[in-house]
Amino acid sequence: MQIAFHLNGTPVRLDAPPTRTLLDWLREDRGLCGTKEGCNEGDCGACTVMVTDEGGARALNACILFLPQLDGKSVRTVEGISSPEGALHPVQEAMIAHHGSQCGFCTPGFVVSMAVGHACGRTDHDDVLAGNLCRCTGYAPIIRAAEAAEAAPVPAWMQDTVPERTADPFRPSSVAELARVYAAHPDATLVAGATDVGLWVTKELRSIRPIFLNGLRDMQQIEMGETIRIGAGVTISALRDAMRDVHPSFAELLRRYASVQIRNAATIGGNIANGSPIGDGPPALIALGAALHLRRGDAVRQIPLEDFFLEYRRQDRLAGEFVEAVTIPAAAPTLRCYKISKRFDQDISAACGCFNLTIEGSIITDARIAFGGMAGIPKRATAVETALIGQPWSLATVTSALPAFATDYQPMTDMRASAEYRLEAARNLLVRYFHDLSGEPVSVLEVAP
Amino acid sequence: MTRHRKIDHPDDDNRLDSMAQGVLGKPVDRLEGPLKVSGLATYAAEARPSGMVHGVLVRATITKGRVTAIDRQAALALPGVLAVITDPRMVRYSAQGMADKGPKAGPQTVDYHGQPIALVVAEGFEQARHAANALHIAYEEEPAPVDPDAVTPEMPQAKQKAQGDLDAAMRDAAFGIDSTYTTPTLMAAAMEPHAAIAEWDGDNVTVRAALQMLASDRKQLADALGIELERVRLLAPYVGGGFGSKLGIAPEAVAAAIAAKELGVPVSVALTRMQEFDITHRRSESRQRVLLAAGADGVLTGIGHEVLVSNLPDSPFSEPVTQATPFTYQAAHRRIVHRIARVHRSCAGSVRAPGEAIGVTVFEAAMDELAEAVGIDPVELRLRNIPDREPGTGRPYSVNRLGDCLREGAHRFGWSQRRAPRERREGEWFIGMGVAAAVRVNMLIESRARVTLTEDGAKVETDMTDIGTGTYTILRQIAAEMLGLPVDAVEVHLGDTDFPPAAGSGGSFGAASSGTSVYLACEDLRTRIAERMGCAEAELRLQDGRASFRNDTRELRDLLAGEVLVAEGHVEPGDAEKQARQATWGAHFAEVAVSRYTGEVRVRRMLGVFACGRILNEKTARSQCLGGMTFGIGMALTEAVEHDPRSGHIVNRDLAAYHLPSHADVPAQDVIFLPDRDGFAGPMQAKGIGELGICGAGGAVLNAIYNARGVRVRDLPATPDKVMP
Repeated sequence: MQIAFHLNGTPVRLDAPPTRTLLDWLREDRGLCGTKEGCNEGDCGACTVMVTDEGGARALNACILFLPQLDGKSVRTVEGISSPEGALHPVQEAMIAHHGSQCGFCTPGFVVSMAVGHACGRTDHDDVLAGNLCRCTGYAPIIRAAEAAEAAPVPAWMQDTVPERTADPFRPSSVAELARVYAAHPDATLVAGATDVGLWVTKELRSIRPIFLNGLRDMQQIEMGETIRIGAGVTISALRDAMRDVHPSFAELLRRYASVQIRNAATIGGNIANGSPIGDGPPALIALGAALHLRRGDAVRQIPLEDFFLEYRRQDRLAGEFVEAVTIPAAAPTLRCYKISKRFDQDISAACGCFNLTIEGSIITDARIAFGGMAGIPKRATAVETALIGQPWSLATVTSALPAFATDYQPMTDMRASAEYRLEAARNLLVRYFHDLSGEPVSVLEVAP
Repeated sequence: MTRHRKIDHPDDDNRLDSMAQGVLGKPVDRLEGPLKVSGLATYAAEARPSGMVHGVLVRATITKGRVTAIDRQAALALPGVLAVITDPRMVRYSAQGMADKGPKAGPQTVDYHGQPIALVVAEGFEQARHAANALHIAYEEEPAPVDPDAVTPEMPQAKQKAQGDLDAAMRDAAFGIDSTYTTPTLMAAAMEPHAAIAEWDGDNVTVRAALQMLASDRKQLADALGIELERVRLLAPYVGGGFGSKLGIAPEAVAAAIAAKELGVPVSVALTRMQEFDITHRRSESRQRVLLAAGADGVLTGIGHEVLVSNLPDSPFSEPVTQATPFTYQAAHRRIVHRIARVHRSCAGSVRAPGEAIGVTVFEAAMDELAEAVGIDPVELRLRNIPDREPGTGRPYSVNRLGDCLREGAHRFGWSQRRAPRERREGEWFIGMGVAAAVRVNMLIESRARVTLTEDGAKVETDMTDIGTGTYTILRQIAAEMLGLPVDAVEVHLGDTDFPPAAGSGGSFGAASSGTSVYLACEDLRTRIAERMGCAEAELRLQDGRASFRNDTRELRDLLAGEVLVAEGHVEPGDAEKQARQATWGAHFAEVAVSRYTGEVRVRRMLGVFACGRILNEKTARSQCLGGMTFGIGMALTEAVEHDPRSGHIVNRDLAAYHLPSHADVPAQDVIFLPDRDGFAGPMQAKGIGELGICGAGGAVLNAIYNARGVRVRDLPATPDKVMP
């Protein structure tokens, strides 16, 4: 595939296999070994690079980033965070001064994540750096370094421009083009962020024929209104930003969705179409009453999101059909989303429960409750909903609805949690929801010392 | 000239305190920091010798048995594939740290699922990986136990200890605790995966690899290859973390050397993260029964610590879980039981603070149970049981600062604010505090270094490694302090077996051991400078490149007059380590929040107070402790290897499912060093620091969970499902 991008300020043109990763190309073909391979599956962040396009600069994992995804963009590796003459960036200076680098292997990834955060004026460093693992420092010295660099100006050499895109039928530039090429090649694999498909290639050594969705600007839009239309190509990061004011609890859930690098690549369309029973997007969207917009060629259809998930890893999607958008209501003041995981960030949910009740007067008139991690698919708690609707919103109602969870869910025991725990925790989350709506602090962030 | 010293007596001269340069102990920036932040430090997999090709280790898909045939045709027909190597000298797992011989050879005999059995070499890494999958391997399989609880364990006589009558003490005790804890298999999970690049020049091989202890690694590799020591050169200038996983020579280094010889080109063998989990040493899971007998006042009358760990048959290592138990607390009646289950999980070996990391953590959780039972404050319980002399042997302690650390920590942490279990709540979160002692044995290991002094400054050379610990920087500070030079005038060269052999990085002994060898070399240089000044070495003052004796001050440059002075320092442990019980001491404090609805635990703050001899660099030392405490959070809350119950194979062999703590899991942590000098540790009075931070840290977290929620988790880690009653 023909690809054009800028690398550390220098134009690059190349013809590469479509599943060649940026990391392999940097280290093996270009001899740029500053970008490290710690896990090769987007878990550790040692390979973090800065990618700039019309949307600005963001941090991405090079290990699961296919070269064609970079077409028309600009890439900066750790070697390009220093000036061409070798002058250090303020975050590099601060990492030395505050002892943020010990063994140094994770350091280049941290430096790039910090430089992106610095360029974007971010001061929520725990969050900006959540996708970078370090085994030496205990993180505190790194956070101190990030804080120390906050006030320094962004160095001039960090300014990036982007080249023209290269035309390729397998990298369509509009939804209409995608509809045509996918209808003609229904066996192709749609690749948006590659945060899951990347692993099919790097870990499972699968051969795929990708259609890259990065160029679909018309599928990357969020249309606000009474109904919010979210294009399938919207990244989780962009969605989080858009949800902050309308559905803050959903936005807070998305903050704990994987890591920054993954959220910057992964799309809501991929999160849905992938059909994972433990994805964090679908439970919230189902609780919101989302409608899914599917398209095949010129044919479009709309279904409730919960009807899309048929059984474990099987969805109501025809060959050549793709997710085009999802729509949700703008008003859902009682939506609350709760994620339970061992690790605060970068962890798959043991269970993820999302609650959205309509309470008129003191009576529950409508209820939408959905969970991830409780069944083979993201699933609504219809028995619990039935037990609640028509009842007064009280702790007694909540208590009497709790047994219905066992009707809705028969979860499994796995590495993340036991079946008994999952069921008990799901019940408790409804109790938490009651207290949450009553104004009691339920987030650990609200009770920080 | 070699300045040799065997540490037969405590050295309380504290010479370093009277040096003039004033750089030792200061928070000097890391010497190689600029290279690391720019991505210019080159790790094991990053050399690119001309003609280099790539090898990928092929791993067994059975647990035990024998490879009967490997059909190579399909693999060899693939593009770029050069060879399939099954040399009988290839090894099955890594050597244990400091071993003289190579690890067990013979890859055709399978000891564990995931063991290397062959190496596929191709022009490109992905070509080799693809070809490795295309091999057809036939096995003769044997049944093999993989569950430590399902076999009759060994009980080596030398590892059992008893004094008095513990059973009677338990019967007669006013208060007794008899609790059994389990800890899972844990991994070092250093950020840099293992890698090696081997290149031959005639009969001499140079291997650049990710290694912690080059001097013994060199012996192991020479033994594995069947060649003389002098023919092996190892290079490890930068190592991306070790935590024990890179102590011994490993399968990739042996395979790379064999393949490079056979093919006549340099060969790189780099492990993927999954292979890293499969092949590198694990920390054994443990079952630990702790027995405590105490009077009504909480004074201990009996201590028992009975453990079960596992390893492969014949492996000489078993996790020394009870290592600190004999000397931490007093009690007349004592029993140590050490059982080893021989199972076919991957090889167990040293991971950061082998023994104390899990042993002290569990023992300190049991001490919390006793404090609760007796009804006295957990800090006070510990203070009441600190011995005057080492129990059993009657030896004095070189120093014992446990009480000081507990008292200082309790004061600084606000321990007096601690309430009874379940009494403090904020919203849905119960808040609790916990304490644990930190104890780790202290060792000195033979070490050599060469220091060269010229008009322009000094150069330190040793085959010591810096695995992130700060060796480059502290050796620079020691030489600068001793020779009166600004730190910038001292170069440090490490990680090359052409340099004098050092202790290596392991067991927390690296800094003190290699540092003392640099100290001794500098002492020799000082003596020679003193001769030129016409004074005794002790009367010489060196500062900022000038030598002074009374009113006479001269430039070092003039004294040298173009001459180059070279000295080697050589330190050996001696009788001092037998005369007294040496250890490093500390106290951990933790505050946690526990959700009443989900059992989720969030650590809110931690404090570690430590006494570990002279601090060589305040910045690197502090960070060692912070990192260790963070390991403790992982041990308490998130880290656990899951073994497939059928094959023993590690199921969660990636960083998505083996959970190192990430940023938000690590709260505000504070580290305080008590001023400390220990002459038994040698002329620098410096002791180990890299492991103390992990010893007991998880115990403080577990005890805080109990104080918050009233739940005692005895099966680590304390995941939400175990915390929610």
